[in-house]
Amino acid sequence: MIGAGPAGLSAAVEAAEAGMRVAVFDENAGPGGQLFKQIHKFFGSRDQNAMIRGFQIGRNLLARAEAAGVEVFLNAPVMGIYKNHEVLVKIEDESVHFKGDNIIIAAGAAEVMVPFCGWDLPGVMGAGAAQTLMNRHGVLPGRKVLLVGSGNVGLIVGLQLLQAGCELVAVLDAAPRVGGYGVHAAKIARTGVPFLTSTTILEAKGDGKVEKAVIRKVDSRFQVIPGTERELDVDTILMAVGLSPMTQLASCAGCDVEYSDQTGRLSCITVTDEFCETTVAGIYCCGDFRMETAEGASSAILQGQIAASHIAEQAGYITGEECGARIAKCQETLRQMSGGMFSVKNKGRVDPTETDEGYPISRSLLERGYIAEEELQNYPAASYEAEGVHPVIECVQNIPCNPCRDMCARKCILVNGDITNIPLVDQTKKCVGCGLCVANCPGQSIFLIDKTSIPDYAAVSIPYEFLPLPEEGQKGTGLDRSGAPVCDALVMSVKTSPAMDKTAVLTMKVPLKYADSVRFFKAEGGAE
Amino acid sequence: MSKIIRTAAKEPFKPEPDDDLIICRCEEVTKGEIRRAVHGGFRTTNEVKRWLRCGMGLCQGQTCQRNFQNIIAKEAGISVKDLGMISGRSPARPVMIDVFANEVIDAEKDPEGK
Amino acid sequence: MDITKQRRIQEHPILGSYEKGRVVHFTLDGKDMEGYEGEPIAAALKASGVMTHRYTAKHHKPRGVFCAIGRCTDCVMIVDGIPNTRTCITPLKEGMAVQAQYGVQTKEEWEASQEAKDGE
Repeated sequence: MIGAGPAGLSAAVEAAEAGMRVAVFDENAGPGGQLFKQIHKFFGSRDQNAMIRGFQIGRNLLARAEAAGVEVFLNAPVMGIYKNHEVLVKIEDESVHFKGDNIIIAAGAAEVMVPFCGWDLPGVMGAGAAQTLMNRHGVLPGRKVLLVGSGNVGLIVGLQLLQAGCELVAVLDAAPRVGGYGVHAAKIARTGVPFLTSTTILEAKGDGKVEKAVIRKVDSRFQVIPGTERELDVDTILMAVGLSPMTQLASCAGCDVEYSDQTGRLSCITVTDEFCETTVAGIYCCGDFRMETAEGASSAILQGQIAASHIAEQAGYITGEECGARIAKCQETLRQMSGGMFSVKNKGRVDPTETDEGYPISRSLLERGYIAEEELQNYPAASYEAEGVHPVIECVQNIPCNPCRDMCARKCILVNGDITNIPLVDQTKKCVGCGLCVANCPGQSIFLIDKTSIPDYAAVSIPYEFLPLPEEGQKGTGLDRSGAPVCDALVMSVKTSPAMDKTAVLTMKVPLKYADSVRFFKAEGGAE
Repeated sequence: MSKIIRTAAKEPFKPEPDDDLIICRCEEVTKGEIRRAVHGGFRTTNEVKRWLRCGMGLCQGQTCQRNFQNIIAKEAGISVKDLGMISGRSPARPVMIDVFANEVIDAEKDPEGK
Repeated sequence: MDITKQRRIQEHPILGSYEKGRVVHFTLDGKDMEGYEGEPIAAALKASGVMTHRYTAKHHKPRGVFCAIGRCTDCVMIVDGIPNTRTCITPLKEGMAVQAQYGVQTKEEWEASQEAKDGE
């Protein structure tokens, strides 16, 4: 096994549990690959790690690997793969040759970078680099940051920059729409960060390091609009444009590596069959190494299981029937997770007009990163009126996620049929205001609203993942979905509990007429 | 991979304002150098790599391969699919030459060290 | 730079406080530096506000951390005399001597080679 990230570890566990002897090599000092820098709650279904933060998924995987007796060689970069499944590994000051009956390459990906003038200045980095610095090492990547790229990686890193205490100056995208999930974008937008779509970076300026970024507008055909240049004061520019697999090892092993549009856009992949086997028999590859997917780690884990099951069956460690059942289960989950508006088949769709349910698409969410208030009426779960406290769900795109349904003990929330369907509220069930749906929605798109318990005021409960945590009785400002100040707000309660896993539920009192507008709280005089 | 016709362009090389842009960060190869190479008749990824060393540095083309392929494709008017990929070779990661030469054959599986 | 004044996240809303090794001292081009044992050299440098890790061989341009996971090799420096060391994945140890890399040389070697060139 090459790589001890989610794909490699899950394959190792699967193979070891089947009774095979497994060795895992990783060039890093610790296992887990890039999982330990993922601190957001994952999307998906609950049997596929939804709601669990990436680093926790990593810890769980490691514990399983340890229990299964998987041997992980750390600080052990694989330098080459040769004929007859021979692998050359650097271990301390030696180049050690190993042979395996099968090899799984799960060496991950590197960030795609788009060159622009000054992109080699210190201070221009990959978004993943910033994530590593702040989440793994507790080091601030910069003070004033510009994020280029609004795909899911960019959006996730954007929120994490705010959580780490950086100022996020803007999120740029050359496309006319936000690339990643609207719910991810909305988390950033409501803190006041502007989304600049149809905008590209022209230049990074500075003496020996980034001091300014020059940006400009492009039209729908990505042609520059003259005279739209603008300078932003930033010390860090992060690129989140995509990932590209580390194909060198596959190429070295003689596997076919080529450009393909299998992932919705032209990218470099290692050719594999449905069992993740490459064109060289006995050599498999999975995870980001195989191809880029929207839910990287989750699908990497599944691919690892598929590859290992197939190997175990080929080597006679599990029966064909057992293998078939395991693989079918993984493939069904992969199918479900790759559905919806952001799926490969829909990626080329420039202008979707309605959701699978037939609701109009929120244009504002695509263009500005938040839902416009007048669009809310299009979505039943976001716009109904009810007596007392009740959930309002501003999750309006078809994305593969449903833990909200499972979190509600009262069964108020429904996700019928496919996992990509938009959640609905069952108004015959009575919400008790526990807030578990608010805290555990990976998209942080559920709010509790109570318009009837306090005369002339409404209680609005929001998910809150920042420090310092406001306190009961604290005064501040209620911000709308774009981060614009709307009215005074008073903190009524701040709930935290182990079941909420670090997402606090902040309830604030706002004038009744702003109940449908206020979606964020900014403490008075407090830091961002 | 389709058949590639290699002829140097007849018309003179036209400079562009961003020809100074660094494409291969490790070996400091610019966009203009890559365009000139294509203009001079180089066509595949590996040809340009061997001529200019782009993709041949410490990172082994991980950052720049896609970007310099796009430039070749645009300049030559062909698809990136037809350029071929950088040949991956050991060592895939940076390693000191004395470590690389210090070979140990897996004694357990191959006692005679074949 | 004193470790308490560095650009570090004291408390994180999700991660709480960070598990760190003991404070160690190392040098950057002879200057005293502080960092935590076991963290990547690049993290300790970033925390102290160091942006430039090296100057390129051809155009003598500054470069710093770019991918932070050992893939791009832009953050390489001379560590305990060994050039091309990826500082983003090399753990920091007490007493390490870290030097900015000029091409693949130390500053002194590079300057000497420039003078030799100029003399030609």
